[in-house]
Amino acid sequence: MLTFARRAFIVVWKDLLVERRSKETLNALFFFGLLLLFVFQFALGPDRERLGATLPGLLWLGFILTGLLGLARTFVAERENDCWEGLVLAPGDKSAIYVGKLAGNLLLMLVIETILLLLFAFFFNLDLAGVLPGLAVVIALGTVALAAVGTLFAAMTAQVRARELLFPVLLLPVEAPLLLATVKATEAVLLGETLGSVAHWLKLLAAADVVYVAVGVLTFDFVLEA
Amino acid sequence: MPDNWAFVLAAYGLAVVVLVMYWRFLVRREHELEDAGIVRQQLRQGSRDPAA
Amino acid sequence: MRRLLGFLTVLGLAAGLVMGFGVAPREATQGNVQRIMYLHVPSVWVAYLAFVVVLVASIVYLVRRSETADRLAHASAEVGVLFTGLTIATGSIWGKPTWGTWWTWDARLTSVSILFVMYLGYLLLRGMIEDRERGARFAAVLGIVTAFNIPLVHFSVLWWRTLHQPPSLMAPGPAPVPGIIKAALYVNFVAFTLLYGYFLTRRVRVLRLEAEAEA
Repeated sequence: MLTFARRAFIVVWKDLLVERRSKETLNALFFFGLLLLFVFQFALGPDRERLGATLPGLLWLGFILTGLLGLARTFVAERENDCWEGLVLAPGDKSAIYVGKLAGNLLLMLVIETILLLLFAFFFNLDLAGVLPGLAVVIALGTVALAAVGTLFAAMTAQVRARELLFPVLLLPVEAPLLLATVKATEAVLLGETLGSVAHWLKLLAAADVVYVAVGVLTFDFVLEA
Repeated sequence: MPDNWAFVLAAYGLAVVVLVMYWRFLVRREHELEDAGIVRQQLRQGSRDPAA
Repeated sequence: MRRLLGFLTVLGLAAGLVMGFGVAPREATQGNVQRIMYLHVPSVWVAYLAFVVVLVASIVYLVRRSETADRLAHASAEVGVLFTGLTIATGSIWGKPTWGTWWTWDARLTSVSILFVMYLGYLLLRGMIEDRERGARFAAVLGIVTAFNIPLVHFSVLWWRTLHQPPSLMAPGPAPVPGIIKAALYVNFVAFTLLYGYFLTRRVRVLRLEAEAEA
């Protein structure tokens, strides 16, 4: 149990170190998020009312599009530096690698989402004061499932010819119900309603989180087989 | 309420066409593969018998 | 064995047509357009059945590494996509005269569309991985993930459609379904299940022949 946690931690630590030195993923995703904001604004026009109404959807669209880019890169370092065999030949429970990568992705996604949220609040003049705790809960629940499936699919598509196409094609349908839930819940929270009023959506997200992390942990050994 | 038989026909027609097309694909593919299998077997037997 | 299945299938489909057009009455509110339901509803039931088979076969493959399980999963996904596509098409054709529009984001069409894209992705993954063994493994993992997504899709779409919209004239009301219509639906469901089984056995055989050809 302890070796499992230690192995997972080593994976996170390595990825964090690499990222801290190059900062390439974080910077690129930040700029991508910013550009998305401009694109949304241009696509929907200057009508503030209309923008306000679609805000929860746009926010999560931003999260998912950035997530698609960021999560797809989960194993790019290993693949490009010929370290894939290193992963495959690693002794013991390979699920530790999954947990480590998942933790790293979660961290990455939450940082990017926080920045995006602040940008949204700035550009669309949102008052985040009272709604922040509720938003945090919804975002956390939604991101865990996204990262869980994204990490698993990233490993599966890492070696495929058309991985840039296949990864979004596989991830988006799985993300669809989660998107419905998070947007509805975010909508309610931004309107000042309590979390209790969207309890069913939150329960759905929590169930998805548990299921997808469990499936990831249980099947990762099969994905990284020699 | 108008009966819209054209739509009923369209739906059933589409179903029949699609299902029959799939069935024909399966049958044709199976025959192709079986024939290829027979040819492979004959070749193998032919190559085992040098006096042929 | 397969001939028997094929014969039963044709019999079942014929019975289904008789029930759907001869025995079942003209529906009170929708008229004869409702008869499309005898295609649409059994299609979606069979699609769900197919994807459950994909889940079971995928798990069996990962645990036992049985080639048959792998072929079963592949074939079932393909036939499932076929019936899912049929569900969407027949649903749309029924929707035009009934609701006045070819497409609507109602609960069933939305859920089934997501299902369609999910398993199309499954077939895409299978097609894109050259190594046979790895393809089987990855497809099995994907088959498990997508199966777990089905209930999530069902509930999220259902709540999305019903919990915030007032019931409209367009939504089919919860009126009790007459027994004879239910009977026709069940007969067609049995017929479609037989058809699914028949397609499945043929497709698995083709996959096995393909594997032998590559050996």
